Amino acid sequence: MPDLSHRSGDAAKADGRRLAWWLVCAYPPRFRRDLGLSLVDTLDDRMRARRAAGASAVRVAMAATLDTLRNAPAEWIREVRFTPDGTYERARRRSMLDKLRQDLRYALRLWARRPAVVLVAILTLALGIGANTAMFSIVNAVLLRPLPYADADRLLAVWGRTPTTPRSLISYDEYTAIRDQRDVFEAAALWLGQSVNLTGVKEPQRLLGNFVSGSFFQVLQLKAERGRLFDESETVPGAAKTVAVLSHAFWQRQFNSDADIIGKAVTLNGAPLTVVGVLQMPYDPEHSGVDAWISYDVFIPLGLFPTPPGVPRATLNASPSMVGLARLARGSQVAAANAALDVISRRIGASSPPGAQHGRTTFTLLAHDDLVGEARTPLLLLLASVGCVLLIACLNISNLLLARAVDRQREIALRAALGASRAAVVRQLALEALLLAAVATTAGLVIGRWTLRALVSMKPASVSMPDAIPLDGHVLLFALAVAAFCAIVSGLAPALRALRSDLVGGLQGGRRTTGGGSRVRDGFVVAQIALCLGLTTVSALLTQSLLAQQRVSVGFDVHNVFTLQFRLPATKYRRPEDIARFFEQAITRVRAVPGVESAALARRIPMSGNWGETPFVPEGQIVAKGSEPRAGQNYITPDYFTSMRIPLARGRDFTDRDSLTAPPVVVINETLARTIWPGADPIGKRITVPDFHDPATVIGVVGDVKHRTPTEPAQSQLYLSHYQTPAIFTSLVARTGVPPLGLTRDIRQAIWAVDRDQPMWSIASLEAIVEGAHGSARFLATLLAIFAGVALLLAAVGIYGVMSYAVTERTHEIGIRMALGASALHVRREIVWRGLKMTAIAVAIGIPAAIGLARFARGTLYAVSPADPATLGGSATLLALVALAASYVPARRASRVDPVVALAEE
Amino acid sequence: MPLRPVEFHILLALAGEERHGYAILQEVAALTDGAIELEPGTLYRALHRMLRDGWVVESARRPAADVDDERRRYYRIAPAGRRVASAEAERLLRLVTVARANRLLSHA
Repeated sequence: MPDLSHRSGDAAKADGRRLAWWLVCAYPPRFRRDLGLSLVDTLDDRMRARRAAGASAVRVAMAATLDTLRNAPAEWIREVRFTPDGTYERARRRSMLDKLRQDLRYALRLWARRPAVVLVAILTLALGIGANTAMFSIVNAVLLRPLPYADADRLLAVWGRTPTTPRSLISYDEYTAIRDQRDVFEAAALWLGQSVNLTGVKEPQRLLGNFVSGSFFQVLQLKAERGRLFDESETVPGAAKTVAVLSHAFWQRQFNSDADIIGKAVTLNGAPLTVVGVLQMPYDPEHSGVDAWISYDVFIPLGLFPTPPGVPRATLNASPSMVGLARLARGSQVAAANAALDVISRRIGASSPPGAQHGRTTFTLLAHDDLVGEARTPLLLLLASVGCVLLIACLNISNLLLARAVDRQREIALRAALGASRAAVVRQLALEALLLAAVATTAGLVIGRWTLRALVSMKPASVSMPDAIPLDGHVLLFALAVAAFCAIVSGLAPALRALRSDLVGGLQGGRRTTGGGSRVRDGFVVAQIALCLGLTTVSALLTQSLLAQQRVSVGFDVHNVFTLQFRLPATKYRRPEDIARFFEQAITRVRAVPGVESAALARRIPMSGNWGETPFVPEGQIVAKGSEPRAGQNYITPDYFTSMRIPLARGRDFTDRDSLTAPPVVVINETLARTIWPGADPIGKRITVPDFHDPATVIGVVGDVKHRTPTEPAQSQLYLSHYQTPAIFTSLVARTGVPPLGLTRDIRQAIWAVDRDQPMWSIASLEAIVEGAHGSARFLATLLAIFAGVALLLAAVGIYGVMSYAVTERTHEIGIRMALGASALHVRREIVWRGLKMTAIAVAIGIPAAIGLARFARGTLYAVSPADPATLGGSATLLALVALAASYVPARRASRVDPVVALAEE
Repeated sequence: MPLRPVEFHILLALAGEERHGYAILQEVAALTDGAIELEPGTLYRALHRMLRDGWVVESARRPAADVDDERRRYYRIAPAGRRVASAEAERLLRLVTVARANRLLSHA
C-alpha cells in the first residue's frame, strides 16, 4: 500500500477529492444529480478533517469507502422500489444500462403485484435445480470421477472365476504368470487386506493391514514420504523380509509423526517387523470415496501372510488367496488383457493336477468399474428420478409463464402500439425470465447444499461414498441453463406471437381469443402427471421390496446377541491344541459374565461379511475332483445354535467332546439334507470335506440361515466343530438377558483374562449387523420416496395452476352460462372432469413409462414384480386423487362466480 | 410515524441555523458530545429523503461572504421538519418524564 503521507499536501488533497468523486459514482444517477456535488464536498471535508486529526491516509480512505458501501446499495434498492417521477424519465437520454434497469424495475413491480405466482415459480425451479445438482454431485463423485491415482484409467482389477463363483481371489502362481505378460500389463500386483494385531504397545490393537507384493506400490505409482517402499524381491513367499511400510495417518496417530521412525521395530501378529518407510498419501482421503488399496494402517510383504502350518509352499502358491491389481500397458485394451488372461488360465489349467482347477479362469475389468460395482444401478436410478423431477419443475415453470404471457398478450400489443420496438418487448420478457432463473438458482444452490449434506449424513456405511462431496459447479450451470431456457422460451413464445399478429386483433381480442395456448399447457400437465406416475410407482415398488426384505425370516433371532471378532497371533498360538484351549477358556470366562445366558464361537457370523464355502462329497457318491457340490460353511463351538436360536430339527448339537481327538462330525442344514438325501434320515450318514482325512458323520440337522444377505435363496449349509478345526480368526456370539452392548466391558475383560494381549474389534449387536444389511435398500427407498413426494407436489401445483388459470380465463363464459341457468354443481363437475380427463390420458402414457423405469430397477427389487398391478393401480389412484384435489379448489371458485360481476368485468 | 434517529439529529442540527453538509456533521457530533459521528453517505441519503418529504429545503441565503464557499449548498429546516422534530422531542420528553417517575434517572 503506497504511503501517501510523504507526498505534497496539494497532491494528497487532489487524491482525496478524486476518491470522493469515484465513491459518489456508486450512487444512483438521480441521487447523484440532486446531491452528488455536495456529497463529494462533504466526503472531501470529512477526509481532510480526519487527516488533520492524524489518521493515516489508508484509514481515512477506508472509512469513506465503507460509508459508500453501506449507503449506495441501499439507495439503489430504494430507487428500484419507488416509481420514479416522469420528469426524470423524459429529461435523460437513456443508455442501455438505464433501459435494463427500467426493465428490471418493471419486472420487480410485476412480481410484487402477484407474489404468490412468483413464489411458486421460484420454489418449483429451486427444488428442481437443487435436488438435481445435489444428486448429480453424488453420482459424479461415485460413478464418474476417476480414481485419485496417476493414469487411473489404466488400473485394472484381476479376479478369478469358477463355474460356481463368479468372482474369486487369484493365486500367487496366476499372479506371476500375469506379471510376465509385459505386452498387455505394464505391471501387476497382489494385495489382501487383513487385520493384524499390534502388540508391544500400551494397549494391544487391531490394525488394518494390507499384505502386498512389492509391485503394488509401482502399479499405483505411490511414493514414500519418508524412508523407502519395499520392492518385489522382499515380498516373495518363503523369502520375504521382515519389513513394513506405515501409512501416513497411522504414523501420525500411533507414533506422533516420529521423525526417527525408520529402522524402528513394530510387533505385528507377534513378530517384529522393521519400519522401512512411511507412505505418501497421493490424494486427500476426506474428498475421495475410494477405500480400496491404500486406506490401511500398515503394508506388509505378502510373503508374511499368515498361512496354515504344514501346507507345502507349492500348494499355497497355487491356491487362490489374494486380490489382483494391474496396470494396463500404454495403448493396450481391456479386451486384449482378457484375451491374454484366457491364455494364461489355459496354460495353468493344463500344467496343474487334473481337476484341481476345474473350469477356473481369470478375468479383468477396469478398477473403477470394479469398485463402483453394485452402486451403479441405484445411483443411475436416482439420477433418472431426479432428472424427472427437474423435467417436471421445468414443465411447471413453463406452464406458469405461458399462462402469464398469454395473459399479457394484450398488454404487449398495447406497448407495441404505443411505439415500443419488438426488441424492447423481447428484452423485457427475457430479462424477467432470466431474473426468475437467477433467483431460483440462488435458492436452488441453498437447497442443493442442504440436500447434499442431508444425503451424505443419511447414507449407510455399506454405500461407498466420500464424506465431503462438493456441490458440482458444472451441474449447477447445466441446471441453470435448462431452467433459463424453459423460462425464456415459455415467456417469449406467446409474446412473439402477439407481436407477429396484427396489433388491432391483439388489442381487441381480450381474454376470449387466447384459447390456443391452453392445449400446450394441458399437454404439459399430462406429461407431468405421467412422469410423476413413473416416479411414484418405482418408489412404491422399492418401498414394498424393502418391507418384503425386512419381513424375510433370517433363520435366527437377532435380538439380544452380543458379537465381536478377534484374530489370535499365529506366532503365539502355533498348534491347533493351543487355539482350542484358548477357545475353551474364553467361552468359559464369557459364560460366567453376569447377564450372559449362553455363548459360543463362530468363524462366520451371518451378515457380517465373513463368508466361506466348501466342496463336499456325500458318502457313496463318486464325483470328479474339482466338480464337487459346494455348501456354505461355518465353524462353530457347542451352543452356537442355542445362542443364535437356530432350531435343531433332528439329532444333536456339537459338544465339548467333539474335539481334536474325537471322530469328525458335521451338522447340516435342512436344505442340504433335502438335496443329498431326499426323504431319508441323514443322521449317521457320512460326508467327506477337505478339513478332515476321514469322512465326517452327520450328527444333526438345523434350520436354514440367511448368511450373506436377507434376500438370498435358501443355501446348502454345513457346520463343523470349531474344536476339531481350530482357526486363529473367529467371532464370539453371546446371548444376553440385558441389552447386549452394555456388557462390552465385562466381556472384553473376560477375554483379556485369558490373554491380556488380545485385541478385539467389530463389537456390535447382531441386530445392528442384520440391520446394516438393509442399509442400502433403505437408503435408496428413502431417497426415491423423497423425490416421488417432490414430484407429486410439483404435479399438484401444475394441475392446480392450469385449472385455476382456465377458470379465470373462462370467468366470463361461466358467468353467461350460470346466468342462463347452469347449476353450480354442473360447473364444478365440468372443471373437475377436465382434470380427471388429463389424468386419465397421463396414466395411459405413464404406465408403460413406469414399467420401463421399474424394469431398470429390477436388480434392486426383491419379491416384487416391476409390473406389479397393485402398485401401478395404487400409484394411478393416488395421482387421480391428487388431480381431483388440485382441480377441486378452482372448480369451487368457478361455481361461485357471480354472473353479474363476471359479465360486468369486460 | 417514528422518526429515525439520523433524521432527528439532522433536524436538531439545522434547528438553530442553516448549514452546509459538513457543518451538519460537525454540529451533530457537537450536540452529542462526539457520541454520534455520522458518515457523509448516511447524511446525504437522509437529506435526500427529507428534501423529498419537504422537511428540509435548500437555502438561498448565505452567511457573510468571507466564511462562505461559493460551491456549497446550504440546508434550512422547513416548517414541516420543525413540526416533525418538535413532535419527536415531545415524545421523548414524555418518555423521560416516565423514566424519571420510575427513578430511572439518577439526577433530578
